[in-house]
This record gives sequence, C-alpha cells and structure tokens, in this order.
Amino acid sequence: MRVAFFLFVTLLIHCKTKGQELFVMTEPASNMPAGSIGFRTMNSFMFNKSNNLNYHLMPEIMWGINQKWMVHLQSFQSNRITSGLDLEGGSFYAKYRFYSNDELHKHFRLATYGRVSLNRADIHQEEIETMGHNSGGEIGIVATQLVNKLAINTSVSYEKAIDNTSKNKFPIEQSNNATNYTLSFGRLMFPKVYKDFKQTNINLMIEFLGQTLNQNGKSNLDVVPSIQFIIRSRARIDLAYRKELYSNMVRTAPNGFLVKFEYIFFNVTK
Amino acid sequence: MKRILLLICAALIITNANAQLKKIDIIATGLTCSMCSNAIYKQLQSIDGVNKVEIDLNKNLFTVILKDEHNLSPKDFKDKVEKAGFFIGSMVLYVDYSNLLIDDGKKDGIYIFIDSKQQTLNGERQLKVLDKGYVTAKEYKKLLKAYTKYASYATNNENDFHIKLIQ
Repeated sequence: MRVAFFLFVTLLIHCKTKGQELFVMTEPASNMPAGSIGFRTMNSFMFNKSNNLNYHLMPEIMWGINQKWMVHLQSFQSNRITSGLDLEGGSFYAKYRFYSNDELHKHFRLATYGRVSLNRADIHQEEIETMGHNSGGEIGIVATQLVNKLAINTSVSYEKAIDNTSKNKFPIEQSNNATNYTLSFGRLMFPKVYKDFKQTNINLMIEFLGQTLNQNGKSNLDVVPSIQFIIRSRARIDLAYRKELYSNMVRTAPNGFLVKFEYIFFNVTK
Repeated sequence: MKRILLLICAALIITNANAQLKKIDIIATGLTCSMCSNAIYKQLQSIDGVNKVEIDLNKNLFTVILKDEHNLSPKDFKDKVEKAGFFIGSMVLYVDYSNLLIDDGKKDGIYIFIDSKQQTLNGERQLKVLDKGYVTAKEYKKLLKAYTKYASYATNNENDFHIKLIQ
C-alpha cells in the first residue's frame, strides 16, 4: 500500500501536463460557469468496523448564479439502519469567489463557503460530518493555485454539529465543533495534446482530509487517491478510495470506495 | 446646434462604415481543462451576432467569427468569458478598413488608436485591445506606466477601447 501510494504521488508530481482542480472530495475556489446547472451523485461504499458495507447516496443539484456565487442543494440517503435506502437529510451549500489572480498559465483564487445541513440519523461517531451524518453547519475558506501545471487546493473550515432530532441528540460528552483542513493535488494525464471537446480527459488526484475536534483535541487524517474521467467536456466520473491514515476518535466507517457522477448543462439561466 | 449634431452623426456613420469588425481572437487565462474551455465556448456561442467559434484547446485560443451585421464591442466578449469564470489574457480584433485615416491618440467611434503613426488603413488589419481586463493583470500594470501620455488610458472607461495596430 505504501509503495503504491509513493508511486502515485511521484507520478502526480513528475507528469508535465496540465493541472486539474475538479477534485473529488473538496471544492476548488473556482466556481462553475454562470448560468449553468449541474447534477451530481456521490456514491460512497464504506466499510464499518464489522466489515459490513454502508452505502450512502448523496445526489446534488448545483447552480452557477453568476461568476462569483454558486449554490448546491443536496440530499442524503443511506442503508445504514434498514436494508433499503432511507432519506436521512439534506444540505444547502454556497460558495463565493472573492479573489482571482489569473495569468496565462497560472491562477490563484480564493473563495469562502458555507453549508447548513439537517439530518435525522442517529449519531454514532465522534467525527463531525455535516455532509451526510450530522445536522449543523460549516464555514470555510479555500485557496486554489495552479502553478507549473499542477493544481493545488487547500481549505480550512469550522464545522459545528447540533442535535440531529429530539431523539437523536448530539452526545453531550463529545466535542460538537471541529476544524477541518484539506490539501489536494491534481494532474491531467490524458490527452497530452488536445484535439477537440469530445476527447476523454483523465485526471489523477490525491487529497488529504483532516479533522480536529476543538473541545478534546482528537483528530483524524485520511488520504483519498482518485482517477477522474471527463467525458465530452461536460460529464465526469470519479473513482476514489478513502483510507484512514491516522485517527484517535471514534469513526464508524472511515475506509471505502467512492464513485461520483456529474453532468453539466451550460447556459441554462441568464 | 442641430447642424453640429447632424454632422457628428454623419461622421459617426461614415466612420462605422469605414471599419468593420470581422473576427476576434481571444486567449483566456486560468484554464485547467477542456470542461472550462467548453464553458467559455458555450458562452461565446450564445452571443447574437456570432457566426462561429473555433477553438485551439492547447493554446486556450478562441477565434470568434462574426456575422456581417452586428453591433458588438469587445466588452460583450469580455463579459461572457468572465461569466464562464475566466479572464481574458489577450484580445486581437480583425477589422476590415476602407480608407480610414488614423493617428496616434485619435478616436474612431469607440476605439482609440495608441502607439500608432499617422496612416490610412485599408483592408483587413489586426489590432490588440490594451485596456484593463483585456490583457493580463501584470501586462496592464506595465502598460499603465508606458501609456501615461494617453490621458484616457488610465480612466478605465469600459465603453471605449485602446487599440494598437499589430498587423
């Protein structure tokens, strides 16, 4: 595993192709085009401690309001409690790009973002995740740099969990807020030379996701290597594996596969 | 007064007839993938008066071919590129001239010729737009220092365009 990971990172750093920032786990500081509508589904197949598979389906609709603002509306389903898919909650996400410094072959962008989520599932871990597990909110800042054809993305956010329902209250002994940090790298592997929009683009990415619970200092760090296919310049398929590198907090199912689909309709709204 | 207005209108009509914008080359900055280029392509294609958009994906170059009849200015294209989430790094206008006398600093409609000698333009010529938002931020800083003699350059009036003959 370590050798494979090392090879993956080496490959990312040495390939002299264009950088990519359409990351699987983290949003870049860039926005989707104004007036476009995107549909996305995140499918996560996570293994819990008794090696049972938890399936989470998180479909999302995204809208680029203008060049500075974009919003997402997402719902969360999972088979964690029953054998079928239960609707557990939903969230609203907004991102505001407030700084861009673009040059011919590089750019640096900054954006701030926020998410509010509702979830009715039971709270079964110390990790706070308002994307699919906890009711609450998240607010953060993200920076994206494209330099020497490598895209690097980093974000810091504050996340706060509240009671999921009156029955599923947030456990009083746990930290109800956390600091999250991410670091992502992305590379375009194919095509080496563009011919037209129909060519499939293949990107390799690696992302590091960390969380520290502010009230007790417990933390975790995950790595997510992924391969991404961009088809006809409007559809995306991402295949990723999330692996816990370190954790001293209770997490139900940190490791597993992620499959993400996305399709963009351009110029839908003015 | 009316006479003066009439004369100005006539002059404007004549000037417009002397120069027709046929084609624009736009190089966009900050692009990372063909999905991004596609976003710009779709925006440019949606402009009334655009006949065809050709793309060189490797250079992020968009060649916009215009219809014979249009009332478009460089700003229409800049707004669309920015709507797609990107910026213009370079814009070159292909204009068909017939007997247009120009001089350094002379204004013709919405265009102001800079770094130009007195001459009469005929046939297709290429002109680079040098205003803020039409060159990279770094380039603009340099140009701002170089073009202090053109009072209008630093004002950043969005409705007039400083152009330089390149071919």
